[in-house]
Order: sequence, then C-alpha cells, then structure tokens
Amino acid sequence: MRETAVVFRRELKSYFLSPIAYVFGVLFLGVLMYLAAQQQIVEGQQASMQAFFGLLPIVFLFFLPGLTMRLWAEERRSGTIELLMTFPVRIGSLISGKFFAALAFLAVLLLCTMGLPLTLSNYGSLDWAPVIGAYVASLLLALVSLLVLYAFGFPRIAEWIAGFLPTWAVDLLGGISPYKYFESISRGVFDTRDCVYYICFCGFFLHANAVALHYRRLKG
Amino acid sequence: MSHAASSRCRESGIALPLTLHFLLLLLVLGQAVYLASRHRARLDATSDELYSLTESTRRIVGGLDKRLVVEAYFSPKEDLPAELRNTRVVLDNFLDEIAQLGKGKLVVKRFNPIEDKSLQDTCTRVGIKPIDTQSATTTAVGVSRHWQGLRLVYDGGKQKVLEQIAPTVSFLAEAMVTPAIKEVVTKERRKIGFMEWPSSSPGQQGQAIGWETVRTMPDVAKRYDFQNYKDAEGALVPEDVQTLVLFRPMDITDRQKYVVDQFVMRGGTLVLFSDVADYGLQPNRQCNKVQMALDAKDSEHKWQEQLLHYGIDQPGQIVADLAPQAGQAYNPMGGGYEYLGLPMQMGMVRQVAYPYFFHAVDGDWSQPQIANKLASSSGKLDEEQAAYFRRTLRPGIDTDEFLFKTFRQFKRGPGFYWPCLMRLRGNGAQTTLPDGVNGRVLLWSSPLTIIEDPQASLNALMGRDLQSQALANAAFNQKLQQRLQSEPRRQAPLMMELSGTFSSFFAGKQRPKKASELKEEEDRKRAEEAADKPVDGNQAKEPEVGPPLPKPDASADALAKAPADPEMLQQVAGNARIVAFADSDFVRDDFTRGLYRQQGGPNSIFGAAFFPMLLDWLSQDSDLVALQSRLPKDRKISLLGDQLIDTGDRRDAEKQLRTTRSSLVVANVAGPCAVMLALGLFVLFSRRAQKRRFLEAIGN
Repeated sequence: MRETAVVFRRELKSYFLSPIAYVFGVLFLGVLMYLAAQQQIVEGQQASMQAFFGLLPIVFLFFLPGLTMRLWAEERRSGTIELLMTFPVRIGSLISGKFFAALAFLAVLLLCTMGLPLTLSNYGSLDWAPVIGAYVASLLLALVSLLVLYAFGFPRIAEWIAGFLPTWAVDLLGGISPYKYFESISRGVFDTRDCVYYICFCGFFLHANAVALHYRRLKG
Repeated sequence: MSHAASSRCRESGIALPLTLHFLLLLLVLGQAVYLASRHRARLDATSDELYSLTESTRRIVGGLDKRLVVEAYFSPKEDLPAELRNTRVVLDNFLDEIAQLGKGKLVVKRFNPIEDKSLQDTCTRVGIKPIDTQSATTTAVGVSRHWQGLRLVYDGGKQKVLEQIAPTVSFLAEAMVTPAIKEVVTKERRKIGFMEWPSSSPGQQGQAIGWETVRTMPDVAKRYDFQNYKDAEGALVPEDVQTLVLFRPMDITDRQKYVVDQFVMRGGTLVLFSDVADYGLQPNRQCNKVQMALDAKDSEHKWQEQLLHYGIDQPGQIVADLAPQAGQAYNPMGGGYEYLGLPMQMGMVRQVAYPYFFHAVDGDWSQPQIANKLASSSGKLDEEQAAYFRRTLRPGIDTDEFLFKTFRQFKRGPGFYWPCLMRLRGNGAQTTLPDGVNGRVLLWSSPLTIIEDPQASLNALMGRDLQSQALANAAFNQKLQQRLQSEPRRQAPLMMELSGTFSSFFAGKQRPKKASELKEEEDRKRAEEAADKPVDGNQAKEPEVGPPLPKPDASADALAKAPADPEMLQQVAGNARIVAFADSDFVRDDFTRGLYRQQGGPNSIFGAAFFPMLLDWLSQDSDLVALQSRLPKDRKISLLGDQLIDTGDRRDAEKQLRTTRSSLVVANVAGPCAVMLALGLFVLFSRRAQKRRFLEAIGN
C-alpha cells in the first residue's frame, strides 16, 4: 500500500509539474465546456446535463490517449523502465500507483466542470442524482478507457491479444461496449450488473498489465 | 508485426499458458457479469424515480387473483434493426420485472412468429400487426418484417392486444402495459351519469359543441360507462350511478333541478362544469357572447338559488387573470397552442396575452415579497395591507390531493377559458355554509384578478392581418391593465369541493312533475274540460249523478310505463359530494379536439388530460394515479427568474436574457480554463523561484 502511495504521489506530481498537463487540461476543458454550455444554457430548456455527458465519451476519445499512452511509453523512452523493474517494488503497486494517478488527474479535470451543473441548478431545478451518477459513470468510463489505453500503451499486450485471439473473440470483445453500461449509470440508476461489469473490466486489464510486466521482469 | 511478436511468444513457450490463462479469466469474469445481470439489485436515484416500477404497477400486478398470461410475439432480437433492438431490451426487462412481481400469477410466454408461419397467422388473427422496416444497402433496398406485440389473456377469457409496442424507455413500457393489464383484470366499468347542454352557437364546422370528446377518450371509455340522464321524461338517476356530471347547465327545467337535487340527497357525487355566459369563437377567433339563460322559460325555481342552497355562490360574473404566469401557455410549438396566439411561418405561434384564458399557478401568493409588491403603490408600501395579503392570499393549487400530482410538476393547473365567478357561500372572507356541509377551494386564480359582468364582446384580435391583430391585442390588454389598477387585489376560486349532509332545495316545496305526469295531468284536464263542456242541457248534469269519466288511453299507457317517483328525500343520510368547476369550456369538444390549432389556438391540451384524472380521483381509484403522474418534473431553465407579478418591457427582457446567457456561457468556459492556467502559472513561477534559490545557494 505504501509503495502504491509512493508511485501514486510521484506520478501525480509529474502530471502537475509538466506543462503538457495544463495545455491538455485547458484544451480539454475549453472544448468540452464550450460545446456543452452552448447546448445546455438555453432559456426554457430543461435543466439537464445530458448534452455534457453525451459529449464526454467523444472528448475522452481524443484526449485520453494523450493522458495514458505516456504512462509506460515515457518510462521506456527515457530508459527508466529498466531501473523501475529492478526496484524492490511489487508490480501490482507500480500498476495501481500509475493508474490511480492518471485517474486522480482526470478527476481534477472533471471537478473543474462542476460549474455547469451548479449554473443549471441555480437557474433551473436540476436533478442531482443523475448528475452525480453520470460523473461516477464518466470516471468509470474513463477508468476502463484508461485501462485499455494503459494496457495497450504497453505494446506487447496489444500484440498478444491481436496474435492469440480469434476474430470472433475480438468481435465479441468489441461488442461488450463500456458505453452501454455508462448510459445506465449516467441517467441515475445504479445497477449491480453495471458495477460488476466495470470491476471485471478493470480487473481484467489491470491483471493483463501485471502479467505483461511480470514477464518483462522475468525476461530481464 | 503482430505475427512476428506471436511467434516470438510461442518460441518462448508462454503462448499457450498465457492464452489459457486469459481465456479462463475471461470466462470467470464473463460468468460474474452474467450472474450479476441475472440477480440484479438496482437503485433508482432520480428524484422522479423515472426508471422504477410505479406503485400502480406493483399494486395491480401484486393484486392479481387469477392467472394473467402475457403472450409476447417477438421476432428474434438479432434480426431487429438498431432502433427496434433498444426497445426490445426495454420491453424484455419490463416483462421480466412484472413476471417477478406477479409471483406466478403473471406468466410471460414468448413466441417467435418468424420461426413458425402458423404463429404469423395467429398474430394476424388476434390483431398483432407486423412492423415493416426498410433497409438499404449499396446494391439493394429491402423491406424486412418484424413482430413485437403483446396479447394479455386474463383467466383464459378476457383479452387485450397491444398490436405493436416499441417503448424507448422503461416508464413508457409501463405506461403502455400497465393500463392494459388494469383494463383486462377490471371486471366491470364504473357507471357515470351525465347531463349536457350543448352550446347554441355551432362550432366552426357547423356542429353543435358538446362534451363528447372527454367522455369517449380511450382512457375514459375503457373504465367508465357514461349514460345520459337528461331525458325528456325526467326520470331520477338510478341507484347504481354514484357520479353525475353536469356539463354547463343552462335552460334547466324544474324537473332537471329536482333530479339533480334527489341525486345529491341520496349521497351521490355531483360534478358541475359551470358557466354563466356562453362565448362562441367565430371565424378569426372573435369572442362574442351567445345568448344563454341558466333557467328554462317556465321554471319556477332558480338554479343559482339551488346552488346557493348547497353552499355555492355563482353570482353571474366572469373572471380574468392578469398575472403573466397564469396566462403562460403550454407547448407554444407543435401540438397546438393552449391559449391565444398568432400563427406565424413554419407552424410557429406567437403568444398574445388574453387574460380570460388562464390557469391556476402552483405558487404561494402569500409570500412576503409578493404581498409587499401587491401592497405597494408608487414605491410606497402599505404595511397593513401587506400583512392582510400575507394572511389571506392562498396558493394557486390549494391542496395536496393526488388529482394535481401531475399538474404540480408543471407548476400549474388545467387552463380555463372565460371562467365564471364561483365561490363558497358567505359574506366576503367569511363562509356561511349550510349546517353539516364542509367546503374548500382547490384552485385559485392569482391576486391580479378582474371580476366583471359578461360583456357582449371580448375580442382581442380585431383586424385582418397579423400586425393589426397584434396592435388590437396590445390595446385590449392595455385597457385591462388600466382597469386592474382600480380593482381590489383578490383571488377567484376556480374549483371547489363541498361534502356533507346537504338538505334538499325542494324540501317544503311541491315536487316538480315528470313529463309523463304532466302529460297525464294535461290529458285529464282536457278530458275534464271536454266532460264539462255542455253539449245540451241534459248532458251537462250527468257527471253529478253518474260515475266519473274513464281516463284517456294514452295517459294510462304512459303511467303504466313510467315508474312512480319515490318519496322525496329531504336530507342526505350519509355523505354527498359536490365538485364544482368555474368553467366548462376547458373540457368542451372544440377546445379539446384542437379545432382552432391551425389558427393559433386555443387548444385545451390540459383539459383532455385532466378529465380522466378527475374521474379516477372522484372514484378514489388510485391504481393508475402513480402512472398518470409519471411525467418528469418540469425543470425548465429560467435565466431571468420567476416573475410572478412583474410585467416589464418585452424587448428589455430579451436583451437581458441574451446578456445573461452569454455571460454564463463565457463564465462556464473561461472559469475552468482560468483555474487550470492559474494553477499552471503558479507551478511555473514556484519552480522558477525554487530554481533561482537553488542557483543562488550554489553561487553562495
């Protein structure tokens, strides 16, 4: 746990010390908030965050790779991955530390968007439960997207998956869309099925990442 | 690249164990997701609980005493086009949920008509219709046929077919299926009596304007059996009819008054849609008064006196409400305009103010800021008057009854059209209802109300073109505004309910006779006159010594046909109820059918919706109430706030609106970006300072 916290702090600090994070943050917030505010703040329209949360997965699609691909790629590029592998740190701690740091950075960005629901609540009668649900769902969606990109950021996993799995299985995986489960929570309905789905999804990719790192460490 | 990588893995001997490892993991996780979807627990956190089954459905399905089979004729989900596939998911979830609720009494049987041709014939026979969808590829265009319908069979007998059903959300599935279940399990329809007096002014299409639409709506006709008791004979309303609806009584005969009186005396529920003046909408929507009298020509008793006897004072005036919110119409685009509007291009309607069309606003008029505003003149506050307003003004919807649950979500009551003044009997603020009778007002107008005698013309849209109509409307409203300044601030009741042990209006009076009795009397008189008429001197003396003359055959037949009136009831033994509305136009045919839609209204959208709710409320049938109120709460954004009283310049308001919106958009975009930039700059400068300090430390 302590190791995880150390990795988490280091990663989070690196996010906030890098100018890329701010450029990324301003772009992300600027694009998202402009599109959402234009659609949501309209006299006589129902006070709802539907347009915002409808846009969010699309904006994630463009911005999340920038946030996640660097997690391992940066280590490899600067050569620190070899050093990292030699540290007496468990692979699980490495993975979870990096992962939660990315998630925390994203959570900060999402927190910056709270002005919009507050505005809508002030000028209309906003139903907060679906909004909170949608924020949770957005984080979960970001979480699985992060994990996919995070895991794919380590190229060997992508290669393994593409190499080993038959086409029908790849299609099957493609069919299990996280967006389907995002919809349910985002409208304010918390379902055990959706929660189990997200836990399983995250568990699978975290485990896949751990296996990849484990074999790398064994390989030396 | 990927093949090369896989071969490397295989060479290293980890490919097989890894594959097995991940396959097993996927299998376990897939199983976990599958189990979680089979045994779900869900929490609907929305404040309106839009995604949960309502109490209505739970009560109806939970209370089934016999087996209800839901036959689902569904094409395979995989074959459905995308737009239908989503509705299938919703429908499947809903059917699973009600089957669980039914605890064996509700069984869902699924059939696939695509697989079995004989099932397609069954579908056609029972009335389930296929859904044909078009699909186009680059080379061909085709039509594919799908089935998605339900047949409900209760106890192997009563059936109901939903020929095509494609709900996009769960509450729509519920709104479609639950009333069908209710209909199929309901043994008999509740009887409701009615009397209607159609307008003497024909509608725009030449037909007499009555109240047929609301009585024959599917929701109403399925559960209520309306029977007309306004017959020539004037028979009393049968015992099994517990509710009697009067649609705008006028030209009421004494016998009709007696029928109504005796219905109340035996403990019935009387619903009164009343008006004191009849206004017709001529071409170009000119609102002109049509001749109307409450009492029939030869009537000895006054209808207004009869109502006053029960505790309802209807002095013969009409009401206008000048509060902007009271006249704010629903659905200004599409589906017709609720109040008065001017038709513009592209089916749009521009609202024009017409204070004779309005609704009760779901707001508390006794709020201090409103009371203070009402009690202020030229910036000076009259404290005493403000305190009086705070004490006496009532909320627009002055009740928590389930009848208004849906309307509360829209923050308003149904729209009324030229309503009349109707109040509880009394002297000013003090009511003096009859002994044993309780009364309450359920709907009130705003305090910006004008009460006046019905004028011959209430035209607000004079002129041929839109511009002159708009100008005429402005002048019309300006006059009303000026009048309002000189009027006292008061509210007018729009709906009231009285209940208790009413006494008969006819107690101690002669009972008005039935038509057959009058005819008999007339015949007897005629016969007597004929007998009295001296043909010669001998015949004139005959009656004095001989037996009486035989009765004429016709009156003897009539007497034999018509049952004799029971003894007059003088007092209600149990509890009777009168529900009175100060308007009848909001449920009348031309308004509810939307005949004036093309011209820009009026179209009583809420009147048609309100009537079935009223019937359920009157019969205390709360089974479908939760479903009726299954409309999402109105969460409209109001950038300038609720202006209950203010009536400022429209252009200023629009300008203010634009400015507010722009500043809010800018604040929402710039605010978070500025936070990020500020944080970035802070980090940059603190890092620089840190670096400088470090370099200085080295230099030192």
